[in-house]
Amino acid sequence: MGMTAVEKVLARTAGRAQVRAGDVIYPDPDFIMIHDGLVRGVRRELDALGIDRLAAPDKVMMVTDHEVIYGSARAAEFGVINRNAAKAWGIKNFYDVGRGGHGHIFPMESGLLLPGMFYFDNDRHATNAGAIGAFGFRVGAEISRVLATGTNWVMAPQSVKLTLRGKLKPGVHARDIGFRIARLLNDGALNFELDYRVLEFAGDLDDLDLAARAALCNSPTEMRAYGVFFPPSAAILERARLHAKRPFTPVYADSDAVYEASAELDISMLEPQIAPPGGIQQSIDIGGVAGQKIDHAFIGACGSGMYEDFAIAAQILRGRQLAPGVRMFIAPGSEQSTHRLLAEGLMQTFMEAGVIPLPAGCGPCNDAVVGPLHSGEVSISTASNSNAGRFGARDAKLFLGSPATVAASAVAGKITDPRAMKPL
Amino acid sequence: MTTEIDAYNWRLKGRCYKLGHDVPHPGGVIPSALITAREFDPQKLIPHLFAESDPGFHERVKPGDIIVTGRNFGMGPKMNGYIAMQALGLGLVCESMPFLAYRAAVGCGLPVMTDCFNVTELCDSGDELEVDFRSGMFFNHTRDIRKEYPPLPDALQEIVALGGNTGWLKRWWQEKQAT
Repeated sequence: MGMTAVEKVLARTAGRAQVRAGDVIYPDPDFIMIHDGLVRGVRRELDALGIDRLAAPDKVMMVTDHEVIYGSARAAEFGVINRNAAKAWGIKNFYDVGRGGHGHIFPMESGLLLPGMFYFDNDRHATNAGAIGAFGFRVGAEISRVLATGTNWVMAPQSVKLTLRGKLKPGVHARDIGFRIARLLNDGALNFELDYRVLEFAGDLDDLDLAARAALCNSPTEMRAYGVFFPPSAAILERARLHAKRPFTPVYADSDAVYEASAELDISMLEPQIAPPGGIQQSIDIGGVAGQKIDHAFIGACGSGMYEDFAIAAQILRGRQLAPGVRMFIAPGSEQSTHRLLAEGLMQTFMEAGVIPLPAGCGPCNDAVVGPLHSGEVSISTASNSNAGRFGARDAKLFLGSPATVAASAVAGKITDPRAMKPL
Repeated sequence: MTTEIDAYNWRLKGRCYKLGHDVPHPGGVIPSALITAREFDPQKLIPHLFAESDPGFHERVKPGDIIVTGRNFGMGPKMNGYIAMQALGLGLVCESMPFLAYRAAVGCGLPVMTDCFNVTELCDSGDELEVDFRSGMFFNHTRDIRKEYPPLPDALQEIVALGGNTGWLKRWWQEKQAT
């Protein structure tokens, strides 16, 4: 009986020949990631116990991504606490403000996170690792145990398999597939559930580049998947090799791996999707909500923060202006992407359109620490979810769409099918 | 850590407190205001446990009592209610809970069993129950029912026996310092 891809990753890091779903193991991670917002609590916890050193400081990546621009005295204080912690713990891989970007994006782009790897993370969007064929495991505040001891318990999750068939129509994006999957799960039209499962994709995946794969990791995570996995294509491997900071071995599921459930999805007829306020599980074809007036737009965050996402948006924005009364922000996922957008003239396109660039990181998607909404305002964005209050006021209306849909809507001032706005 | 695991009282005996399916942590277990306020002090949480659905619960409940729930208990990774249950000496037996709810309960040092299929059909509130969280044995003495469920996995017993994640880490550090 074979193993799924994630079971293989876990077996390697746990030093075992085999791992099965349900096994409790203690993997030796390739690295450990802690994000800015949790450092203070973890430092306090470890200090109170007298734990003054980490098991493997060289493996730790500390990332400032949730609150990059200090918008409050409290945030500035956290910044100091984080820098002191990095110093006290001897963390050399400290990607502070302006030095890395979004922790779920830049490590994949810069060859730090590679196919076949396993890492612990306090944040649940570690699922993005599946885009490159790796597995990031969220432990929340229990990252303290990982930092102190080097590991933590992992119950190997079940995997479910979704085989994609067909090609997306022009103007339809990987985020649209994710929104559709959420809706199908909600309607019981896919015969599995995702709570603590790994969603392994199969089928016609060669058209999906790294950005599209990262985009497709996002919505399953909101539906409580604990991991998403894409078998790396030749193109993904080539990209990984180009940037790799160390050797790596990609993993693929065995042909006789055991999945809890499997399903197929034909994506060839898919329309651009909109996730309405309240949840991606209510996503609908864009036609059902086109024309809804908007005040605010944002592109970035875990699911739409790679260079390719901004290139798609820039194609639509080139030579156009944001509609009067609309404010729009972008937050690239990495400093590297910001530089590339500048070098290739795309940042100029955004700025000429009236878009406000934010530094690499989570942008408004983290508790609206920047770019919030007022009561009654309407936003369209690529945020992870459209739950009430995510962008500030609880009675603001949050819609989600692909980067193309967000860009077209910001230009029109209302939710707009991106296929109706051809590049100028 | 085996000493602590053996010394821990894995078998709880007390009254059943039965809940249905899909009980959310905020509101259903503990008022959401305490969750958003990040209140983790057990003494402050105890008076509010199940207070919105059953005022005075904390005064009637006794150590050893067992909360039995339907499917999808907790509906998320919150800890506050489990801290109160643990401090009251209760146990938790669920038909199912989201994995993060289970992980949070273990991390708070609460004796917990999940995936106990149809357990709500085997008991009612007030029944005399006995549950061994280490072996998975479930007894309803009122109805003379005996059933075996998946126990708390061996690897997680040490966390519960040491009172949760912080207790575990404290013990680990002491052992490391000693060697």
